[in-house]
Amino acid sequence: MNAFKAIPDTGSQAEQQAWAELNLQAERLKPLHIAELFRADSQRFSGFSVSHGPLLLDFSKQRLDSLALDKLFALADACDLKGWTEKLFSTQAVNNTEDRAAMHWALRTPVDDVQYESCRDVLEGVQEQLDKMADMVDKIHSGQWRGMTGEPITDVVNIGVGGSDLGPLMVSRALNDFTLKRSRSLGIHFASSMDGSQMAQLLKQLRPQNTLFIVSSKSFSTVDTLYNANTALAWLERSLGKCAGLLHCHFIGVSSKPDKMSEWGIHRENQLQIWDWVGGRYSLWSCIGLPIALRIGMKGFRRLLAGAHLMDNHFRNAPWQSNIPVLMALIGVWNTNCLGINAQAILPYDGRLEKLPAYLEQLEMESNGKSVNRDGELVQLHTCPVLWGEVGPNAQHAFYQLLHQGTEVVTCDFIAPALRYHEPTHSEDSLELVRQHELALANCLAQSRLLALGEAALEGEGELPHYKRYRGNQPSSTLLMKELSPFSLGAMLAAYEHKVFAQAVIWGINPFDQWGVEMGKKIATETLGVIRKEEQPEFPLDSSTLGLIDFINAQ
Amino acid sequence: MQIDLYGDTLPALVTAACMAATGHDVVLRMPQGRIRQQVIANKVAYSEPGLRRLISNEHTEGRLVYGDFDGLPGADSRAVFLALDTDEAPQANVIVERLAAVDGRRWLVVNQSPFAVGSTEELDKSLKSGIAHSQSAAVALPDFLQEGTALAGMQRPPQIILGCNDGYAELLVKEIFRPFNRDSDHFLVMTPREAEFTKLAITGMLVTRISFMNDMANLADSLGIDVENVRQGVAADPRIGPTYLYPGVGFGGPGFSTNVINLVDTLDATGVGSTLLNQVIEINERQKEYLFRKLWQHYRTDLKGRTVAIWGAAFKPDTGRIDNAPIIRMLDALWAQGAKVRVHDPEALPALLERYGHHPGLHYASHPYAAAEGADALIVLTQWRAYWSPDLDRLAAIMRQKVLLDGRNIYDPSYVREHGFTYYGVGR
Repeated sequence: MNAFKAIPDTGSQAEQQAWAELNLQAERLKPLHIAELFRADSQRFSGFSVSHGPLLLDFSKQRLDSLALDKLFALADACDLKGWTEKLFSTQAVNNTEDRAAMHWALRTPVDDVQYESCRDVLEGVQEQLDKMADMVDKIHSGQWRGMTGEPITDVVNIGVGGSDLGPLMVSRALNDFTLKRSRSLGIHFASSMDGSQMAQLLKQLRPQNTLFIVSSKSFSTVDTLYNANTALAWLERSLGKCAGLLHCHFIGVSSKPDKMSEWGIHRENQLQIWDWVGGRYSLWSCIGLPIALRIGMKGFRRLLAGAHLMDNHFRNAPWQSNIPVLMALIGVWNTNCLGINAQAILPYDGRLEKLPAYLEQLEMESNGKSVNRDGELVQLHTCPVLWGEVGPNAQHAFYQLLHQGTEVVTCDFIAPALRYHEPTHSEDSLELVRQHELALANCLAQSRLLALGEAALEGEGELPHYKRYRGNQPSSTLLMKELSPFSLGAMLAAYEHKVFAQAVIWGINPFDQWGVEMGKKIATETLGVIRKEEQPEFPLDSSTLGLIDFINAQ
Repeated sequence: MQIDLYGDTLPALVTAACMAATGHDVVLRMPQGRIRQQVIANKVAYSEPGLRRLISNEHTEGRLVYGDFDGLPGADSRAVFLALDTDEAPQANVIVERLAAVDGRRWLVVNQSPFAVGSTEELDKSLKSGIAHSQSAAVALPDFLQEGTALAGMQRPPQIILGCNDGYAELLVKEIFRPFNRDSDHFLVMTPREAEFTKLAITGMLVTRISFMNDMANLADSLGIDVENVRQGVAADPRIGPTYLYPGVGFGGPGFSTNVINLVDTLDATGVGSTLLNQVIEINERQKEYLFRKLWQHYRTDLKGRTVAIWGAAFKPDTGRIDNAPIIRMLDALWAQGAKVRVHDPEALPALLERYGHHPGLHYASHPYAAAEGADALIVLTQWRAYWSPDLDRLAAIMRQKVLLDGRNIYDPSYVREHGFTYYGVGR
């Protein structure tokens, strides 16, 4: 078991020093209420907010002051965040357990960017695949991608799980307003769950003649995905017959393993490649993002990449004081390690971002849910907190009760666009809808204010009965964008990616592997044999598992 | 009577020429462009049988003269006809506003243009605007021309539908059309809005019949039935009759599909919408790719590098127009799959050239058999007379693959198959 310490006894002298000083700051600030911080500094917002490109980060409702912030910057320096950032933006194997680079930034870097002269060949390879994807998108949008019977494709199903599902799903939902006119009638669907739940539903409503499947899997060996793909293939074969052209007409593959795609039957022309240096949860920028491009067009997709590239440059070059991802990371470290807060809620005040919480749950918890450092030792500090979330206005009717009056300390990320419904597509109903958006914004600001200040936010309420009281002091950050667009969304997602990386540097862990999800897969294979009564377990099963299998098989 | 006519559409030319031929003095006011140039140079502007000669005669006789599109009718002009295209409603408004600005004139505007339902009422309003007790009037006189038989249709109309709320205007229109209305009265008078809608409903009914038969053909396809026999059986029922029952590769043409779409637009704008007509159009669009699907399946979903011969580009025989014709979708579909196309058409190649220019995937053949040279399939899209009895032995000798796709069901499948061809028709 990990022995958690306030000041770790691993790491450099400078790191230990930085932690020691941070703890002093924490002791000083812990008794203070956020309301007092605001009272002490009437200009608190201007000192504790930064903006870059389309984004504004307000962290004035966090429980820290400039002294603590300075010590956090010192910690970043002590951990050599600068050096690690340079390693990330290179071809070095920052993913040490798998001996791979993590070059998702290269997926959105223009070929002619002079900062990356040395990896020009990588960037050209990326563009080559994007161009291939653009051709496919064009063919589908123009109604010229044909099924077996010659009918045009009207529906596309993305089969993938994890990074091959959450990213494309979240972004294509979020940017639905940017749907291309010519792709408006194109149905885009997602099937991920291994039990076939979505598949069963989709196969009922779709016509095989008009349906194209994208099989998206970095390793092309993910069981969940291959089972769903096999179900799709069998469904097509039942109505269209088994023949050579079927796979060519109805399947596209996206993977880093061309051989495995070919082996499964994906036609060479229909293979889109990614590389082993793209982590699954960092892959929506690659051809894994095909469903996004099908929704918003290649031009929109390239705007998404441009937004992320803007954030890459910002993260790499901006000083800590104005560096959005770094500030997000250090605030997280402060909350987790100095204030002992182990829960974080993601609260978008825009229904289009409904899948963002699930996406960030994977990005943060799969990346930083680690307890062994890069040297293979147990960490002595808490790492990634538990993340969860929901569209804010809906969550207000669900778990906000706990945020306001429960016993747990929770930190929140409020996320919202300033403008909405001003695009020409909305012109007809815009007035009423703009008012609805204003209402959502008002709720967003009111909730974060009440969480921070407590009933002090409402002066003149008088003495309240104990069950009506709000103690406040729940810290939060608010991330506003000018509007939700491909560009701003790209910038925001890249900011979270770099936040996660920066935290991993501070914690000394590798954010790019996910060994914790491997063993379960292996045991499941063995258990499957037992449920199907085809195999005996290698070792005797525990009584719980046996009891459950007995119940299942008795039905 | 002195009459001014604005427009360069086929109905404009036909109406102008036919009215001049009965003794009216007509000023034909065409906008600048190719049609105007052709007409003035005494060349064919529309490949409509007899039209060029009639125009030329009337011009020689002096009863048909050419005026400026931007000019105003002379002092003796008694009626102003508007025969513009669907998308020229703004021009119609400009003309009417200029007429209204002339002091003290009593105008009769006869609108033949296929604008949205309600347009003539709008024109009437603008004609009278700003003038107290104006006696001017705009009336609707939808055209029912059929390309290929347009002159006969004008001279011996089955009916003349007049949308008109004004007694004097009605008298005047009937006087203008008296020579075409002799054996019995063909006039049906109703409100302008009703007249416009009648035109659209007739078109809608006709295309519904076609799409219905195409739908039947698709069913016949999967049931192993020859839809040709079914068509003859259906046509024999006197309640139904034989016209507009031919299954094929979809209808096209400037009047046909734009009018149908117009009707849909008109209905959509009011928020009602016709589900039936939407389906009719959808079936028709699908039908335009019917033979592509047959070919795609024949070559097992791979058309890369294939050469496809097409006979007929015009949306129907005896016209050189390709507006909304099936060939447009066929070319897009074939090119997208990497096939090359060789096209022959007796009249429509200039229109095709105008649209596509010198395209690497398109060869313009001067002769039907030149198109078929080295082809992996021959597709017949338009039933020009010259295509009805091809020399199948000659085709078999020059084509690379003997595959014949008959988009108009004009051949006898068993005869074609006897010559070693693989034959595909529509629903047979």
